[in-house]
Amino acid sequence: MINTNRQLSRRRFLGNVALASAAIAVGPGSWVIRPDWANASEGPIRLGIATDLTGSLGFAGNTDANVARMLVKEINDSGGLLGRPIELLIEDTASDESVAVGNVRKLIQRDKVDLVIGGISSSMRNAIKDVIISRGKTLYIYPEGYEGKECTPYLFCTGPVPAQNCDQFIPWLIKNGGKRFALPGSNYVWPQTINAYARKVIESSGGEIVFEEYYPLDQIDFSSTVSRIISNKVDVVFNAIVPPGVSPFFKQLYQAGFSKNGGRLGCVYYDENFLEMNQAHEIEGLASSLDYYKVLAADDPVSARIQSAYDKQFPAKFRFSAGSAATGTYRGLKLWEAAVKEAGTIDRDAVAAALNHAKIAEGPGGPAEMAPGKRHCKMNMYIGVAKGGQYEIVARSAGLVDPKEC
Amino acid sequence: MDTLLIASFEILSFGAIVVLVVLGLGIIASMMGIFNFAQGEFVLLGAYFTYLVHSVGLPVPFGILAAPVAVGALGFVLEKLVVRRFYAAPIVAMLGTYALGLIIRESVRGLTGGLYLSVPEPISGSISIGSLHFATWRGVIVTITLLVMAASHALLAYTSFGLRVRASLENPSLARAAGISTSMIYSATFAFGAALAGLAGALIVPVFSLFADLGIRFLIQGFVAVMVGGVGSFAGPVAGASLIGTFSAWLPWLMSPVIADVLVFVLAIIFIKLRPQGLISGRGVNR
Repeated sequence: MINTNRQLSRRRFLGNVALASAAIAVGPGSWVIRPDWANASEGPIRLGIATDLTGSLGFAGNTDANVARMLVKEINDSGGLLGRPIELLIEDTASDESVAVGNVRKLIQRDKVDLVIGGISSSMRNAIKDVIISRGKTLYIYPEGYEGKECTPYLFCTGPVPAQNCDQFIPWLIKNGGKRFALPGSNYVWPQTINAYARKVIESSGGEIVFEEYYPLDQIDFSSTVSRIISNKVDVVFNAIVPPGVSPFFKQLYQAGFSKNGGRLGCVYYDENFLEMNQAHEIEGLASSLDYYKVLAADDPVSARIQSAYDKQFPAKFRFSAGSAATGTYRGLKLWEAAVKEAGTIDRDAVAAALNHAKIAEGPGGPAEMAPGKRHCKMNMYIGVAKGGQYEIVARSAGLVDPKEC
Repeated sequence: MDTLLIASFEILSFGAIVVLVVLGLGIIASMMGIFNFAQGEFVLLGAYFTYLVHSVGLPVPFGILAAPVAVGALGFVLEKLVVRRFYAAPIVAMLGTYALGLIIRESVRGLTGGLYLSVPEPISGSISIGSLHFATWRGVIVTITLLVMAASHALLAYTSFGLRVRASLENPSLARAAGISTSMIYSATFAFGAALAGLAGALIVPVFSLFADLGIRFLIQGFVAVMVGGVGSFAGPVAGASLIGTFSAWLPWLMSPVIADVLVFVLAIIFIKLRPQGLISGRGVNR
């Protein structure tokens, strides 16, 4: 009796191991979306999306994957690319670089994709770019707004960079806030780099910097910072603190009477997702600088069409917003489509050469084009101000803004 | 002088928040002898429950009152189903409760879509004295923390339930021989610790907003507080939490916050090295 029990459990154990290893091999975080038609002579073009579907950046990664699903469906429904359908392969990078490298390697080595779009944080981009570009000999598009300075060949960036975030925004803040700036930020690469750029623009626009300070990423109590801001009579807080600290920071600033006394909050990455972090009155008047806001749909028919198509297909909680890299993903995929059409092939060098000067006439927030030789994207920029829990567009760039990178 | 007043209030209020979070952790660690790594997620659940109540349109204070009951009930069930299997092996208990915490955290992340969500304070605004502003809700948290601390101490030190808890900790087999159902007492103690975490979560969610990693932030601080304060007594973790909370809110006033963050842990390690038994070395509950 005892013996048979043991054998049974060993057999069950082996069965479980087999099941588990099968699950690991297949990868629980992978999705393959096959087109519903095929090209007889050649297989489908394979598009890899490597993004954070789970973990702390899941809210953004799921949006990006949804944007890719929407666009691939549109392209396939209208006849595909070069007469071939697109097969979409989505891998989870799980907000964790070590998991990501393995999963991206699957996209490159097993699935042999023709393009990878993805990565949200800069550390993620740095972790996976080598796998994709050097060892993988594949094209890589990074869609998120970031600190700039990424000049690797075959890596194209389609989100806004500091020059686009700051050049229009800081003079506006000086005019609509004041000259005395505080630059608080979380202690990692993006806040440090964007503050260094902002410092130059502030000083050349006639503003002054009262203090610049960095905080541990998980700090959630900012009483000493708030007290310094109030006692130094700061006019503008140019915030580069990221969640989770940013919400208690803004709340403490509000409670200390910063906005009541005429202070202005500026924060370049704040999109619709972040408005919910605080109650509307706590961040009333907060200004941000992005390439897209949902309210643009009111006066731009293209943005309205994209926004409503997305909302119709994905009515769940993952919003189509600039900070989630949804706009960068849209732009990236459409620019790549234009480049493939021009090149007439999916060969990496030919597509990269065409992508170098690719243009799209329609995108969220307006048209976009690559700055030739820079591998960064020119786009329209807008300044939005939070009013009653919504953004109101108060300024827009005169035409496409140059990224000034590389 | 003005800055000193503001600073004292802010430091006191953050100290109170840490005490509130650590109280449940300390009670479970001291009275049951296991480290509950899911404690941070019980805080998160309290916060999430309050958000749920708010999002269906009920008043926030109702959520704050109901959160400890809901989280306590869940703690009771989890103790019966999972945690009690680990009493013989405290190290395994850490891993087991960590796994529980992971499941709770990722479930909440799924439910909130990974977003950060705000919950309004039941009593908002600030009290202004001259040019100084004191956040009212932080004042409320300080008051409630003091009350909860006193009530928990009274419960453990002066009631017959407290006597049974202490008996079960001191000598489980003798307690059983004396007719105390130790397994029931363990369940109740665990549920009580979970309920305190739920209350803490409900009270702090208006300050920090709701996000899936809310608990982790406090978990590490909480463990350092318990180590510094000393495991085994009621007063130890409370004293440790006040010390750690005060230091981590006070040091950023004096130096760069990045250095302050590290320094708190360095000081804690040095302190534990010099005084391994912690601030308060006694066992049980002093009357």
